[in-house]
Amino acid sequence: MNTVRLYIRSMGILLKSQLQYPLSFLLQTLAQLIMEGGEMLAVVLLMDRFDHLHQWTPGDLYFFFGLMSVTFYLAECFGRGITGNFPSMVRTGQLDTLLIRPRGILTQVLCSAVDPRRIACILVGTVSLILGSRMSQVEWTAAHVLLLTESIFCGFWLILGLFLIEAILCIHSVKSVEIANAITYGGRSACQYPVDAFPRSLRTLFTVIAPFALVMHVPASRILGKPIFGWPAWTAWISPLTGPAVFAVMMLLFAKAMRFYRSTGS
Amino acid sequence: MKAYLSVFRMRLRMETQYRGAVLGGVVCQIFFGLILIAVYRALYAGKPQSLPLAHVTTYVWLQQAFFRMLLSSDAELMDKVRTGGIAYDLCRPVHLYGFYYARILAQKLMGSLLRALPMLVFAALLPEGWGIALPASVPALALSLAALLLGLCCVCAMENITMAFTMRTLDPRGFQAMLNLLMMILSGSLLPLTLYPDSWQWVITLLPYAQMLDAPIRLYTGEYALPQAPGVLLLQGGWTAVLILTGMMLWKRNQRRLIIQGG
Repeated sequence: MNTVRLYIRSMGILLKSQLQYPLSFLLQTLAQLIMEGGEMLAVVLLMDRFDHLHQWTPGDLYFFFGLMSVTFYLAECFGRGITGNFPSMVRTGQLDTLLIRPRGILTQVLCSAVDPRRIACILVGTVSLILGSRMSQVEWTAAHVLLLTESIFCGFWLILGLFLIEAILCIHSVKSVEIANAITYGGRSACQYPVDAFPRSLRTLFTVIAPFALVMHVPASRILGKPIFGWPAWTAWISPLTGPAVFAVMMLLFAKAMRFYRSTGS
Repeated sequence: MKAYLSVFRMRLRMETQYRGAVLGGVVCQIFFGLILIAVYRALYAGKPQSLPLAHVTTYVWLQQAFFRMLLSSDAELMDKVRTGGIAYDLCRPVHLYGFYYARILAQKLMGSLLRALPMLVFAALLPEGWGIALPASVPALALSLAALLLGLCCVCAMENITMAFTMRTLDPRGFQAMLNLLMMILSGSLLPLTLYPDSWQWVITLLPYAQMLDAPIRLYTGEYALPQAPGVLLLQGGWTAVLILTGMMLWKRNQRRLIIQGG
């Protein structure tokens, strides 16, 4: 419980510091809004030209897009410590100070940063979700709401877990490793479209290795009433659990990698 | 002139420094290219368009290859403005605009060449329908290369205008981000301009952002036929001249009212 209090406390402090320059903060948030709005515009324009993607109508695609951007930017908002701060902590040797404190490394890293500007992207995602569900005439039963919540929650942990890959590589190589971005940001760009649009190799990658499809597309397609792999209904409840599972594995690997950590000194 | 040339050469060499990072970037960019093409292929399978698929895949690869040309900026200048280091540059016996133009030109040229060459080789090896197609004709290739050079000059002029605006505020991130977004959306980085609605084409192809990379790509694929080429090049040259003049004016104004941060 203590850890949770600590986390909320740090978030409060960070938020205050970010709001010290309100105009700059506002402009940056606005920029985020336009950026994510632009991404959505691309989907809208593509749908304007092509009408559908396999069996998916424009409404379905907005729904998938919204689910991805809400989940991904929630993870970026709260996982900022892993993607932003951690690599520079390793490079400068600042990580040493975390090692002597009586808390876990991961807890401290997560406490060290938050990115409230992402709220703008989450907003665009929410609009897209609502628009998509309206256009595809989704029935909002309690089960569907619960399923969507589960999918977002599990997706959040999946993406945090994938962010940890970069942190792990970074402990070994000191440099921040751009290749790790391919799986996270690539996953985001790819899996804002339903996974059955892709050829087999990419489909396998995003189902088995980085299970975006299991965490997002299986439940979302169930909500839309067009199950993606033709699996039975109960699988939509089970498959998102792979997200937290990926995070758990990555956390173990991270702890293992930390044993190899050599300070850069200075 | 010699001063500008030596700045240019120095920056060229600097860009070749971190080759490991370049390789990582290229792999990422290739992966993104493959994902985009997979999506466009799936869309084409549902509803074929008058624009051949090969044009779209070629567009994606050229766009990915010259990604660095559009989106990279001189981060040092921003730091200099913030810390007051720009005072040293003001003392140099050179034209400040030209000095920074030469720097950014070298950065963008080398940065994109280093990435473009391996990527284009890779894209050429891919099977048909995935990879990059051959240019429409030999003259089209020559013209698109010329257009690419003009486009590079145009990007650099635009970049200097962005910098002129951001020099006025000490925290440029918000403003810079917004100008970069405009570039992303209107230059074809987000979505090939050829896939924008047909009714928009005449407007977006006239804007300066379309002169940077979109025009050379369309010359390469043959979307712009050879007789159209002089008009395209003229439009590019015109915009470049306008942007350079605007930028010079803004820089001059800034220089008069620039506040040096002490410390």
